[in-house]
Formats: sequence, C-alpha cells, structure tokens
Amino acid sequence: MQQLIRFATDYVGYVLKGGAKFYAWMGSLAVLIACMLYVFYLQNTEGLIVTGMTSQIHDGLYFANLVFLVGVAAGAVTIVFPAYVYHHEGMHKVSVLGEMLAITAVIMVMVFVFAHMGRPDRLWHMIPPWGIYSFSAMLGWDVLVLNGYLILNFICGFYYLWCKYTGNPINKKWFIPLVYVAIVWALSIHTVTAFLISTMPSRPMWHHSMMPIRFICTAFAAGPALIILIFMIIRKNTRFWIDDSAIKLLSTIVTWCLGIAIFLTLSEVVVELYARTEHANGLYYLMFGLHGLTGLVPWFWSAVVLMIGAFILFLTPAVRNDVKRLPIPCAMAFAGIWIEKGMGLIVPGFIPTPIGEVTEYHPTFVEWLMMLGIWAFGFFILTILLKGAIGILLGDIKFGGQAATAK
Amino acid sequence: MKKIAIYTLALALCGGALYTAVAMEKAKDEAAQAAAEPKEPVVCFESRKGATEVTQRDIKPGWPNVKCSPTTGAALWYGDPFDGTVPMGKMPGLENLPEGHALVKPRSEKLAILPMCGTACHNGVGPSFSPPTLPKDKKPTAIPTMESLVPDLKDLQHGRGRIWCLDCHHTTKRDKLVDHFGDPISFDQPQLLCGKCHGDKLRDWRDGIHGKRIGEFASNGKKRWFTCTECHNPHNVQDGERNRGFVQLQPEPPPQLPNGMKDASHELVHPVAH
Amino acid sequence: MGYALNIRKCIGCRRCVHACVAENNQSRGTRPGEKIEWIQVLRMERGMFETEKLDHGYPEGLGIQVGGNAYTPAGQVLEGQFHYNPEAVPEKDATYMPIACMQCEKPPCVKVCPVRTTYREGDGPVVIDYNWCIGCRMCMGACPYWARRINVTTPVLPKAEMNPVTHYLGNRPRMRGVVEKCHWCLQRTRQGRYPACVEVCPVGARKFGNLLDPESEVSKILERKNVFRLKAELNTFPKFFYFYD
Repeated sequence: MQQLIRFATDYVGYVLKGGAKFYAWMGSLAVLIACMLYVFYLQNTEGLIVTGMTSQIHDGLYFANLVFLVGVAAGAVTIVFPAYVYHHEGMHKVSVLGEMLAITAVIMVMVFVFAHMGRPDRLWHMIPPWGIYSFSAMLGWDVLVLNGYLILNFICGFYYLWCKYTGNPINKKWFIPLVYVAIVWALSIHTVTAFLISTMPSRPMWHHSMMPIRFICTAFAAGPALIILIFMIIRKNTRFWIDDSAIKLLSTIVTWCLGIAIFLTLSEVVVELYARTEHANGLYYLMFGLHGLTGLVPWFWSAVVLMIGAFILFLTPAVRNDVKRLPIPCAMAFAGIWIEKGMGLIVPGFIPTPIGEVTEYHPTFVEWLMMLGIWAFGFFILTILLKGAIGILLGDIKFGGQAATAK
Repeated sequence: MKKIAIYTLALALCGGALYTAVAMEKAKDEAAQAAAEPKEPVVCFESRKGATEVTQRDIKPGWPNVKCSPTTGAALWYGDPFDGTVPMGKMPGLENLPEGHALVKPRSEKLAILPMCGTACHNGVGPSFSPPTLPKDKKPTAIPTMESLVPDLKDLQHGRGRIWCLDCHHTTKRDKLVDHFGDPISFDQPQLLCGKCHGDKLRDWRDGIHGKRIGEFASNGKKRWFTCTECHNPHNVQDGERNRGFVQLQPEPPPQLPNGMKDASHELVHPVAH
Repeated sequence: MGYALNIRKCIGCRRCVHACVAENNQSRGTRPGEKIEWIQVLRMERGMFETEKLDHGYPEGLGIQVGGNAYTPAGQVLEGQFHYNPEAVPEKDATYMPIACMQCEKPPCVKVCPVRTTYREGDGPVVIDYNWCIGCRMCMGACPYWARRINVTTPVLPKAEMNPVTHYLGNRPRMRGVVEKCHWCLQRTRQGRYPACVEVCPVGARKFGNLLDPESEVSKILERKNVFRLKAELNTFPKFFYFYD
C-alpha cells in the first residue's frame, strides 16, 4: 500500500516538473481544453443547434473523429504485437508507450461520444443495473469493447510500469495471456466500430462487408504513423532512445497497411462506379458531387493525394531509410486517413438521405473548436502518460530512489 | 472587491426594474391592439375550395372545432369530427352499421341556390309553364339562364357530351336528384345518384377505400362520411385538361431548409452519370 | 393497426404534414433545425421521352452504351424534390409520394437502440420513450425511410398552439436532444380515432384501420388492391402500405 502511494506521488511529482517548453505546451493545450469545456457547456444548454448537424446529416465531425480514434487506439497493437509475439527487441522496449497511446485514444473516443450525444447526461441509461444494456445494439457492443480495451491497456501498461518502478519481476503467468487478450481485443474494437455503421442497409455507402478490413487497414496505417511521429518527438526531447529498428518496423507496417487501404478504396470505387447504381450516390457525391453540391469533393481528392503521395514516399528508399525524413509521409498518411475515414466516410453516408434528399454538412465553429479541444485534451493526457512512462523506463522514478526531474 | 460587488448588484437591480417596466408597457400595448381589432370569424375549406367551408369556433376554451392553415385556408385539424353532421340516411350495403354511426354533413346547406330552384323558377307557373309543360326528352339543349348561374354547364365535361341535366336532376322536383326509377334522391345523398354509373367507386367508397371518412377508425365505428360532391364537382369532374377527378389546390408551405442550405435549387438538378 | 396510402390519389398538398404538426406538438421555431415535420412529401417527375434525345448519351452523339433518354427520371424513383412550392398542386408533370414512419414489423431502428428506448408496441406502432432516449441517433442512421428527427434544441411550442390531449409514448412535448417520429397518433388511435393525417387528407388517399378486422378499410385494400411496401427488399416488413387504384 505504501508502495502504491509512493508510486502515485513520485509519478505525479515527476510529471508535473518540466522545462519552459513543457509548460508552454501544456498551457496552450489547457487553453484549448477550456474552450472545449465552454462549447460543451453551450451544446448542453443550447443543444446541438450550435453544431452543423441536422436531422438529415446527424453524425458529423464528432462521429468521424470517434471512428478515426478507435482506429488509432487499435493501431497501438502494431507495437505490442511484434513485441510480445515476435519478441522484437526494439519494440519490446517501447511497447508500454503503445499502451499509453491506446489508453489516450480510447479516452478521447469517450469524450467524443459525450460531445456527440444529444443527451450526455443520460448516458448512464446504458449501464446496468441502473440502466438497460441492449445486446442487439452495435453501439452497446462498441461501448463494451472500448471499455474493456481501456481496462486491459490500463492494467497491462501500468502493471509493467509498476514492476519497473518497484523492481519486482513481472508475473508472466497472467501478464502474457492478458497481453495476448489485449492484442485480439484491439482488433475487436475496430471491427465492432466498423459493424456499427456497416450493419445499416439504410446507408448503402457503408453497407458492405469490406468495411471492417478497411477499418483495420487504415487504423494500422494511421495508428503507427502517429506513433512514429511521437517517437521522433520523444527522441528529440528526452534522453529516452528509441531504436531505429522499432521505427523501421513500424514504417513497414504503415506502408503495407496504407497500400492495402488504397487498394481497398480503389476496389470500392471501381465496383460502385462501374454499375453506378443508386447505391453509389454517396460515393459519387464524395468524389464528384451530386445535384451540383460539391462540398466534400476537395476533401476526398486531398485525401487521395495525401495517401497515395505518402505511399510513394514510403516506398522511396531515400525517404524510407532516412529516419529524419520519415515524419513527412507519416504526417501525410495520418492526415489522409483522418479525412478519408472521418469526413470522407461518415458524412457522405448521409448524402443523399435514404429517401433521396440531398443536403450538405457545414460544420460550425463550435464543432471545430470542440474537436480541437478534444484533440488537445488527448495530447494533454498523452504527454502526462508518456512522460511518466518514460521516467520509469529511464529509471528516473524508482521506488526508494530520489525524485528526479526530467529534462 | 466587496464594493464592486455592491455596485454590480445595484446596477443589475436597476436594469431589472427598468426592463420589467418596459415589458409591462409593451404587454399593455399588445393587449390594446388585440382589443381594437374585431375578431373576424376564421373560415376554412375542408376538401374543395368554395364547396365545403367550415367556420372555426371554440367547442370548449382552447379547443376549436377545426384548425385552419394560415397559408392556404385549408382545414388542418379536427377538434370534433362530427361537428355539424346529421345521420346519413338509408344507404344500401351499410345496413349493418349501428344506428347513428354513419354521419354526413348535409350538402343542401352548402348549395346557395338550392332552396330557390323549386320556388323561384321551376315552380310550375310562368309564361313557359302555361299550360304546364315538361321537357319531352333528355336531349341536350342550351339553357342560357342556367349557364349564367352555373358556368361549368357551358361546356359540360361530365360524360363528354353523353350526359345531360336530367340524367341526374329530377324532371319535376328540381331540388332533388333522380335515380334509375325516376324517384327523387336528396342532394344530401349524392352517392345514390353517382353509384348509378360509378359502381366500382361506390363499392370502394362503401368499404372506405375510396373517398374519406373521419372519426372512429373501427369498421363499425362512428364516422363522418364525406359524400361524392364534397370532393368532386359533378359539373366539372375532370377539371379541364388535367383530366383528373380532383381540382388543383395551393399546397401548404414546404419544409424548412436544413442548416447551412441556402435554397433548394439543387433539387431541380438531376444527377447525371454513366 | 395498419396504414395504407393511395399514391395515385395523392396531390402533394402537404396538408397531412401540417396536420401532423398541429396534432403532435412538434417544434415550430424559425431557426434551422427548430422546425420539425414527420411526414415528407416527395415530388417525382413523370418524365418525358423525346425523339431529339435518341442519339444523346454516351458515347456522345451515338448513345449506344447509354441511351439518350436514359437520364429521364420516370416513375417511383425516390429522387426528386422535397421543397417544391408551385401555385397549385397536383402539377401535370409530377406525382407525389408522402413518406413517414412505416411502423415496421422488424424495425432496424429498434435493433440498434443501445438503451431500448424505442420499441415495437403490441398493437403495431414503434414508439420512443423520450425520457429514456440518450440522443445517440443510431436509430436515425438505421432507418431506411428517414422517418426520425432529432430535437437539436428545446422545441419551440407556443402555449396557444399546443395540443393538450397527449400520450406518454406519443405527442407529449419533447425535450432537447431526443429523437422523435410518427407514432400513428397514439393519443388518438388508442382512443379509437383516426390519425390526424388521415382526417385532413382532402383526397382521401390515406387509410387507417385494424389489420385483424377483415371488414376494416386497410384489410379491404389488402384484399382488393395492388399493394406494395416501400423498400420491401430490406425485410423491414412495414405496416404502411402503398396502393393504387
């Protein structure tokens, strides 16, 4: 017990101390978080009328980010899997960082759920024994698997850190099976999220069985792309050294998952547009516009350029082998997938409506601010989690040791 | 700090008082305005404009017999579906309905010149009636007096020239319609007349498939039945070139444009793709 | 309960839409999203085929692969105008199709509800408990008929315009952030009365009755007329039937 209290105080003490750069970073994030809280207050006094969502297009930026971030959370498995299944040295060292990212992403998803709901004050209606849990609802399953994933990652991540902190050996009897469960679970969260929208025949744009694999592919491209970027930042700003081998492996994963994702997108385009049935209207709106409304066309084509550009860069040896240049295609892939999977997938699902009404989605300033705020909140948490984890991995925080400061 | 708080509080109180005063004055103005305007009775039409008008009134406080559309003047909502109805009378095929469950609005009340038909002109006296004569056959003859009274008669569409007045109107009792046996039919029961030719429509009407009924939906429930002429103009059933049984109406306003849409012009563009 | 609508008779006057609003206490504000209507009337073009168009199409000037009149919309296509506003209806070149909740026997919206706040009542209608709804809008996405609306803000309902006869699962005033839809005027039909839209339809295109009673008008329609269910291929089994004479 005393150990636990010391762990907590040491952890907090370590995390709170930092240089000017650290405080500036956290301060600016805090400002955005404050804005987010304000618009959340607005949304819960005025209602969703402050957003651009309508009865026609009732899922917008929030839902798009939610779907994307579930992918990022699942993407963390690209570190854990090679580390524990293939015993990849470089990955093993940093696997706990992947778990921290997963925790962050799941928390962000949950905040986006709060932002998305019409009545967030009633979310307890989903939780028995006070509420009713429905096993027939995909959203119910999604909440279940997301919470499970959060708990699994929390246990795995912090147990590992705890062992490092106290110097105790890891109890492999239950830790390793739990890690394996978490790996499979990661697939489940994104599969269920895909089922969430692909099980609706009312929305032909989403109603195909390719959706889960496409989700997984894009997730395993966007997730590790973000992780590479974060690793580069960690390498630059801390004493913690991440092996090139880990980054190399991640970039290989990004490359091929991105390649498959592009391939799947192209397949969909061919299948849908060759016959060009009424069911292709959503995709057609996305690519070329419908009834003269072209709001999402630039989004789609920028996503295409970003994704294909990133893929080519990843394949170019000069970029692929140069760790310094690697962040460029990573950022491109991340942005491209964010568009393709978010705005580019969710919004055109509603255009036209099932009875043929074509309208457009115009996200408001409130929505953008909320989104930025939640991302800021995510980075805030991520910074704290990563800083603490790195402190422990470096041995800066150790049971019985002096409370040290990070640079 | 405290000082500021007190000032703010005082300011707020002053503001509040001022606002209340202004608001009260405004309310007074509105009340005065409402009193000054004499309330005109709201009249709206049910099915066909000019043929089925109903005057709005309160059955009980805040519960009108009918709500009218401010845009088109059409009846939009029934507080009492049986307002102003009378029993339908004998109708073959509906004998099984409980007593008083089939109601209609009397058509004769809506026909302005009906009470005069049998007294003012077709009364059996006057120059053309001495000695009293009757049309010897039902052959079409232009009657300028009637055409000026009912303009639709000038080029009678009903039957496309194969039907003339006395196929439907009683020869001697001009405030009545006529059945196949030459017996009179009340203007309140036009279905008995129309069913002479439109048998399939009569059957559908009797079963509630054609036409309209309001009130209780159970098959033996109390209903107000809309009779043929409440919806169809018997003299112009085909509404000219449109060749449909129902006249054109002004539509109610379209739905609201969703957030961010400036107009609905995109709806007129057809999606074109190969 | 069952419903039938004669699409040959419908003239597109939208009186049902506004009767529904008067009966069911929908929000009627002016800001976008504050005005809610449960019934949508779709205007579809009758279409016209022209000789001049024969060679149009693809490839250009030949029209072999895609014929010249191919892009002429005709018939029931679920594609047209919802915001039409001519001086008088019905227009000669158009047909109209009102669409609202179909009260499916196998409703996709009920299946996706994570809190089971929307469910099928034994006598037919699919209802919503507004007090239990969390506003997640999954049901709106799952509905193939776009029958559901979200209250994006506190509904605007002037005191004088409110219908005081209400039902808990029906037309009681809703709150911010919950989903609502047609429930076949539960507050009327449970008392034996026709829904408001049936009562105002000037052409008598709307029919309502007890499907279990062979004498009811809806049973007679199923027996006598050609009937179809909208998007029957989705196996939602609507209890709302379209028919024509």
